[in-house]
Amino acid sequence: MRKYLLKRIGLAIGIVFAISLITFIILNIIPGDPAALMLGDMASPETIAKLREQMGLDRPLPEQYIAWIFRLITGDLGNSYFQKKPVLELIGYALYYTSRLAICAYAIALIIGITSGVIAAVFQGKAVDRILMTIAIMGISAPAFWVAILLQIYIALNFDIFPVSGANEPIGFVLPSIALGSRYAASIARITRTSMIETMNQDFIKTARAKGLKNYRIILVHALRNALLPIVTVIGSDIGSLLAGAMLTESVFNIPGIGKLLIDAINKRDLPIVQGTVMYIATVCVLIYLIVDILYAVIDPRIKLGEGSSE
Amino acid sequence: MKKNIRKSLALVLTTAIAGASIAGCGTRPESAGQDSSAQNSADSSAAQTSQTGATESSDYKVLRFGQALSGDGLDMQKSTSSTSASIADEVTESLLRFNDDNEEEVVLLTDFPEISEDGTVYSFELKEGVYFTDGTELTSEDVQFTFERMFKPETEAKSYSYFSMIKGADKVLSGEADTLEGFEVVDDYHFTITLDYAYAPFIENIGTSYADIFPKEATQAAGDNWGVGTNLIGTGPYVIQSNDDVSQVVLVKNENYHGGEVNLDEIDIIYYDDVTTKLLAYENGEIDLADLPADLLGQYQESYADQIHAYHPLGTNFISLNLQDEVLSDVNVRKAISLAINREELVETILNGAGIPATSYLNNQIPGHSDSNGVYEYDPEAAKALLAESGYEDGLVIDAEIRAADQTLYGAIQGYLAEVGITLNLNVVDNATWSSDRAAGSIDLTGITWNALYADADFQVYTYFYSDNSDGKSVFYHNDEFDKLLDDARSETDEAKRAELYEQADTILSLEDYAAIPLFYPQSQFIAKDYVKGFTVGNLIYHFWYVDIEK
Repeated sequence: MRKYLLKRIGLAIGIVFAISLITFIILNIIPGDPAALMLGDMASPETIAKLREQMGLDRPLPEQYIAWIFRLITGDLGNSYFQKKPVLELIGYALYYTSRLAICAYAIALIIGITSGVIAAVFQGKAVDRILMTIAIMGISAPAFWVAILLQIYIALNFDIFPVSGANEPIGFVLPSIALGSRYAASIARITRTSMIETMNQDFIKTARAKGLKNYRIILVHALRNALLPIVTVIGSDIGSLLAGAMLTESVFNIPGIGKLLIDAINKRDLPIVQGTVMYIATVCVLIYLIVDILYAVIDPRIKLGEGSSE
Repeated sequence: MKKNIRKSLALVLTTAIAGASIAGCGTRPESAGQDSSAQNSADSSAAQTSQTGATESSDYKVLRFGQALSGDGLDMQKSTSSTSASIADEVTESLLRFNDDNEEEVVLLTDFPEISEDGTVYSFELKEGVYFTDGTELTSEDVQFTFERMFKPETEAKSYSYFSMIKGADKVLSGEADTLEGFEVVDDYHFTITLDYAYAPFIENIGTSYADIFPKEATQAAGDNWGVGTNLIGTGPYVIQSNDDVSQVVLVKNENYHGGEVNLDEIDIIYYDDVTTKLLAYENGEIDLADLPADLLGQYQESYADQIHAYHPLGTNFISLNLQDEVLSDVNVRKAISLAINREELVETILNGAGIPATSYLNNQIPGHSDSNGVYEYDPEAAKALLAESGYEDGLVIDAEIRAADQTLYGAIQGYLAEVGITLNLNVVDNATWSSDRAAGSIDLTGITWNALYADADFQVYTYFYSDNSDGKSVFYHNDEFDKLLDDARSETDEAKRAELYEQADTILSLEDYAAIPLFYPQSQFIAKDYVKGFTVGNLIYHFWYVDIEK
């Protein structure tokens, strides 16, 4: 187990390092000079060159990369070119909004997804099942930003309850959470349905029925509790994805989260923010997958990196 | 056993979600910029309000304004953004300012400065009893500090070039000196500024946001954080109550404003990057006021006609050409491009009428502008003849690099040019790419609106087309006669003569050399609820000095 853990952690570090290198290279080969953008229309080429020098952008790329990596290791992600604030502080601020959105969206996804999945499974093959699964496929297929715009136009503008934008009041999170959560809800509904159908056919359910337990108790207590296990396993990856920020949903609803921070920074070539945010996202995802993998190994000791599953 | 472990896994993940939920529902984090120690004299009014306009009193007037985030702070020595200026100008003031009729007026002075006969020495007298909102009185020392700060290398000011003619500015800029030789403090309320040479627009430059006066002690104490969060203190009608630098700024009334009673109790400036979201928020009553881009004018014109208000900024939209390019170095080609475009049709159809077809390069509100030749001629046949004369009877190809916002306009221009045999290849890029390519001189043809800060031709012409400046704009226009006219106009103190010089320069630029192809003078719009009274816009910067709410 220890060997497996070490290998897995080593791999995670390697992935984060590779992402840092790829990010750095991509950001430095795409066109667009942050110094020119910072100085605006009035700047002369000499002034731009001077600022590039001050920012260290004139130094060789390997030198810039090594300096950045060393700062990164010490937890210094640098300062934003435009806002002049530490990137870590900006990410922390954005994370507050992203995590709130993520939690609300996933809560909605779990409630709608599990309920729909259970109902579809109970009424397997009937009209209710078909309707719910058709909606689920639509939910998976519909882009979150499109759902977001529809919610703004048809819900926010027509009912004087929800704001079109903003995230300072709890009510402001409702529509963004529905827009973002609908996709996950659809996915969870499908998994729940499959899992429930499988569980409902197992012997212990038949035993429960034979014992004369009420149907709702069989479904909610015995079947659902067992059927939920596969759902729990997908939660990890979903959380990783949600904490990385929802760029389009955040932009459409004007929520200053991680996704919006990243989009704004890309548009302005605010490289410290872009690099810092990408590293944050990469680290969160890698960490969550690492935790999930380790927990899998705890559950099933046959899982060993590169050693097959026969052991 | 295995089942128990699975249950443990479920428990761990559930606990993790619950933990994250608790963290997520915590208190909203304070941005570093939200300096709770920032003091101001408007605390009493601040206490009356909560965020986003929630009030304790029905008489409490709140204006909610939606605009884009510039993201480079509110220190106008470091920012050149008009959106930053719209906020900063409510808090900090310059010695003079431009009102919404684009006329300069006195703010912190007793009168306009006296100017020596040779036009190099400006004598100022400050109003007595003007206080910054931290309670310190405005004195000549603060003005001196402000002007010296903009030249100090550590400030990294962007706009110092508007004032670099002050004697000794170059030495402060290079780090050789700490003080400005040309700035003399006579006493607390009197000071003089001496220029290296007569420069007529100087009086106007000191009326811009770039010359906002800062309190010496507070600015020094804030250091690099000046202009970030609530670290901006001035003599203006409003005080920053909160500012997270990301989503919203809340301004509250300065109860002791030297200019008299302030109408509004609070202004909430809410940042929107997505213009559609901003306008939906307006429709939903979440904001009272927003700008309305020309491309959405048609969509809103019908339903909100009485809430849409037009104004004309001091700018000109034109085609910017690279005169070093082999094809575009031929004046016949440049003239053919001008002749190929029907400007009146362009404004009517593509802009929904939101603009005025150009009759000269200089905007129609700027002295030196001329209407004498009418709208630039549209004659496709003459354009074809000129191209044939230059050996392009079989057509030619020009590469254009434009920004996404210009896509529709340049789609139409592409059509006009195709009719005379010019194939315009459009390469649409983002702002960052466009800025660096233009600075590198690698753009052959592009579109731009060049706005003046105030109604003076120097800004609109000199900063873009003077030889030294045009190279950094991918233009490379070098004409000694044109340059001399601009030099003469800068030092000419007689306004009528200056206007004449600029008119001559404009003729050379846009009717002889065709170094710029002016298209139209843009119209901008804002949309405001009917209870927002007294809001007008002179140029691009929004000011709320006279705005009131009457519900």
